[in-house]
Amino acid sequence: MLANLDALMHGFTVALTGYHIMLMVGGVLLGILVGVLPGLGAPNGVTLMLPLTFSMDPVSAIILLTSLYWGALFGGSTTSILFNIPGEPSSVATTFDGYPMARQGRATEALTFAFLSAGFGALVGIIVITLLSSAVASFALRFGPPEYFAVYALAFASFVAFGGGAPVKTIVALCLGFGFGMVGTDTVSGSMRLTFGLDELIRGISFLVVVIGLFGLGELLLTIEEGPEFKGASGRIDPRAMLRAAARMPRYWFAMLRGSAVGVWMGITPGGPTAASFMSYGIARRTSRNRENFGKGEPEGVIAPETADHSAGTAAMLPMLSLGIPGSATAAVMLGGLMIWGLNPGPMLFIEQRDFVWGMIASMYLGNVIGVVLVLATVPLFAAMLSVSFSIIGPIIVTVCMVGAYTVAGAPFDLWLAVAFGAIGYMMKKLDYPMAPLILAMVIGDKAEDAFRQSMLSSGGSVGILWSNWLSGTLVTLAILFLLWPFLALLLGRRNAAEVAISPDAGHEETRA
Amino acid sequence: MLTRFHLELGFAALVLLIGAVGLIGSSGLDFGWGADGPQAGYFPFRVALIMIAAAALVGVQAFANRAALRRVVVAKPEGLRRVLGFGLPIIGLVIVAQWLGLYVAMALYLLAVIRWQGRRPWHTALGVALGVTIVTFLVFELWFQVPLLKGPLEIMLGLG
Repeated sequence: MLANLDALMHGFTVALTGYHIMLMVGGVLLGILVGVLPGLGAPNGVTLMLPLTFSMDPVSAIILLTSLYWGALFGGSTTSILFNIPGEPSSVATTFDGYPMARQGRATEALTFAFLSAGFGALVGIIVITLLSSAVASFALRFGPPEYFAVYALAFASFVAFGGGAPVKTIVALCLGFGFGMVGTDTVSGSMRLTFGLDELIRGISFLVVVIGLFGLGELLLTIEEGPEFKGASGRIDPRAMLRAAARMPRYWFAMLRGSAVGVWMGITPGGPTAASFMSYGIARRTSRNRENFGKGEPEGVIAPETADHSAGTAAMLPMLSLGIPGSATAAVMLGGLMIWGLNPGPMLFIEQRDFVWGMIASMYLGNVIGVVLVLATVPLFAAMLSVSFSIIGPIIVTVCMVGAYTVAGAPFDLWLAVAFGAIGYMMKKLDYPMAPLILAMVIGDKAEDAFRQSMLSSGGSVGILWSNWLSGTLVTLAILFLLWPFLALLLGRRNAAEVAISPDAGHEETRA
Repeated sequence: MLTRFHLELGFAALVLLIGAVGLIGSSGLDFGWGADGPQAGYFPFRVALIMIAAAALVGVQAFANRAALRRVVVAKPEGLRRVLGFGLPIIGLVIVAQWLGLYVAMALYLLAVIRWQGRRPWHTALGVALGVTIVTFLVFELWFQVPLLKGPLEIMLGLG
């Protein structure tokens, strides 16, 4: 570990030049822009900048691209909180409590919490990378299909089991999510599933289009029903509210540490930031003292997914560099960059390209600090958007949703899907169906099924392979216990299922406040 | 007047329908557990079955509680009117986008909705419609080179 600290100091001497700091600022600003726009994400930004980096030296190039990535991660939370439209997939869980806070006129507070906890999570992720870079790389090598399945199953179980709401309706939401996620080409067998001969369905139903419909359009319909103006959302810019929120941050130290731990875990075992944020939100909701307030604008509900999202995002750089496994689309584009710059990802990179690896790690410290400062500076700008009359901002949000839905796959058909899911989202909210399980099932279900079936391919159809080593065995057992918990609690008579399932006031914590 | 009872039943029926469609679709695939584990239709088939059962259960529960659920009004007429007034133009936007492209459709949509639904003066509506469309074009098409759906107008102007 001490050798790592030495290497880090060396890295700082590489990263801390005026030119590199300029690249960080530029990268973060561009990243915030693509992060805020739902149709654009970090992959677009990185792809756009890639040709510019061909003439740079590899350290400068990776600093620019990673800074852009941090900016996009920060920016994605902004629209989640203000408009209930996740700018990035990993910001979906931030909408659950961030948007209710904004509707209560606490937008500035929610954004401050989100950015500061995101910055905290990122720092934890980087510290872990710094200290454990060599050990973790060999750990990640152990990951095969059974372990992947185990990680997804655990993320899934921790969210679902901890969620509130009516059990039957949760099951319906889960099945809808699994079902929509299965449409399209089956990656294991190559056959078409549930496409009914429609060409538009061959590539499947993207969960981003579903999110834009369910959350973005569905929420707009609910807002307009209650009245023509935003309810309670204050566009007032108050720097003091930011400072007050910042001063309250230390109170949530445990939530931040827990979220970071979940995020680092999910980043290294390449579960990814999106799964990490869901898992962290689920655990926080189960264990927090304020759990009744979750879904109604609880700061911990913003802090938990944000810390996990960013610590996973930073920690995921490690498997990318040391193993060449891209955990996300962005990382895949960056990998392409590595090859073009003449570097080969793999364990040897840490030995042969010390300047590059440690320069990048050092730049991650600074890049995230710059990210927090710059994104906080944009809060007044975005908060001011809330003061624009809904009769103007509402239709603009609709067009942003439509552009976002189209850019996912460049398919006109997806516009129809988004509208259909907007209507479904409106009805689901009206009937207290929980939305989060649907999204989670779409995100993780597909990957989990692939990993499961790949494991079965190698074991000849025997489920025993999941318990063939301590790692996947522990995770799978834990996941099953998590999943069974509500049923055990139910058997013990903690609540009456039928009553909870149907009474109009039950399960409200899942919906808006 | 839309009551909770009717909406519960309606949505359960929709889920039932989706489940039935899924069942038909997956029964055409191999839904067994072969020598190499679950086949392509294994999970879709079972998910569809569970979905149908759960939807039926929601329906039964709603029916059992119909007296209480009938008293709950889901949406008041004026609220529902606002929802339709906001939702129908979105459908219009999608229809127009299919043959005139997204840019023209969003400009027309913004102009119409802000002018007639928001009752804003013409210059506001026109300004927002053109401004948003042009900014979208610059950011997506030129800067990030993400092409959006284009129609005959863009081709005529030589932008397609």
